[in-house]
Amino acid sequence: MSVYSFYIFDRHTECIYSKRWAQAAIQRNSATSALSNGDVAPATRKALTVEDDAKLIFGTVFSLRRIVRQLGGDDDSFLSYRTGEYKLHYFETPTQLKFVMLTDTRVGNMRTVLHQIWATLYVEYVVKNPLAPIEHPKGVGVSNQLFEGGLESFINTIFSPQS
Amino acid sequence: MADGLKRERGWSGSAPPFNTHTAKMVVFALLIINKAGGLIYNRTFSPGLQNLTSNDALILAGTFHGIHAISRSINPAPQPPPQPNARRPPTTGIESLESSHFRLTCFQTPTGVKFLLFTSPEQPNTDVVVRRCYELYGDFVVKNPFYSMEMPIRVEKFERALAGYLVRP
Repeated sequence: MSVYSFYIFDRHTECIYSKRWAQAAIQRNSATSALSNGDVAPATRKALTVEDDAKLIFGTVFSLRRIVRQLGGDDDSFLSYRTGEYKLHYFETPTQLKFVMLTDTRVGNMRTVLHQIWATLYVEYVVKNPLAPIEHPKGVGVSNQLFEGGLESFINTIFSPQS
Repeated sequence: MADGLKRERGWSGSAPPFNTHTAKMVVFALLIINKAGGLIYNRTFSPGLQNLTSNDALILAGTFHGIHAISRSINPAPQPPPQPNARRPPTTGIESLESSHFRLTCFQTPTGVKFLLFTSPEQPNTDVVVRRCYELYGDFVVKNPFYSMEMPIRVEKFERALAGYLVRP
């Protein structure tokens, strides 16, 4: 079980937070600390930057969400999709904040986990932060130390490095 | 976990239209998309999904065709180490999609035809079902000398074989 990346999109379709995890093996070899930003691109990356990826992922999720609404009715919600290589998990709050996580295919339902990240980390450390702006253009106020640290340790408890 | 899942599903809004306990395992619909993204077959087997106009179904097929291609390019997984004298395994696009009301299983044939099977989330072995639909397509559509490839499928025997396989009495 491993996690590849995590994105938050606001209701203006902007990516306000993104984080990528390098593969566990690479991380252990290079002996980076747990809090270093996981911005190391996997070897497969050539042309796509992190921003390009975020835009593609938003577009995918947006279209799939519309397809699901169209087919299942207005109270249907898109949960996840799986390809041969990875799995994308999706969670949307009532305020149209979108949480997206990419993991490997063996991971089960992550909707509760994304809900937890929203309720216990995002709301506590970003929404309740008096210094953070109400909207987060270009991700201002989201990537504070408490949120990053909380996210890192929360993900580490779910995807322990041994497994 | 199943209990939590149900609570999660109920959380996002009003209750689903059918009870997840008693919901039958059903196949809702089958769509076939040709390699250019055009819808060549669209049939509903049992009610459960919203009715689509034929125009909407065409748009849906085209959109899905595009997303399928994008989902291949955003693959974050590391490539397996290259084997000598072995072709690189092609990355697959979306294979299955889950929503709170249905599950979509997509099977892409080596020639690029996509089979989209809409089932209830409880339906097991959807990959086997969709492969069987591919077999029926091969037997009754491709082997039909009057069928021209990439065109909408209007083959009566195919209709009957699919109905015999997918419609539960």
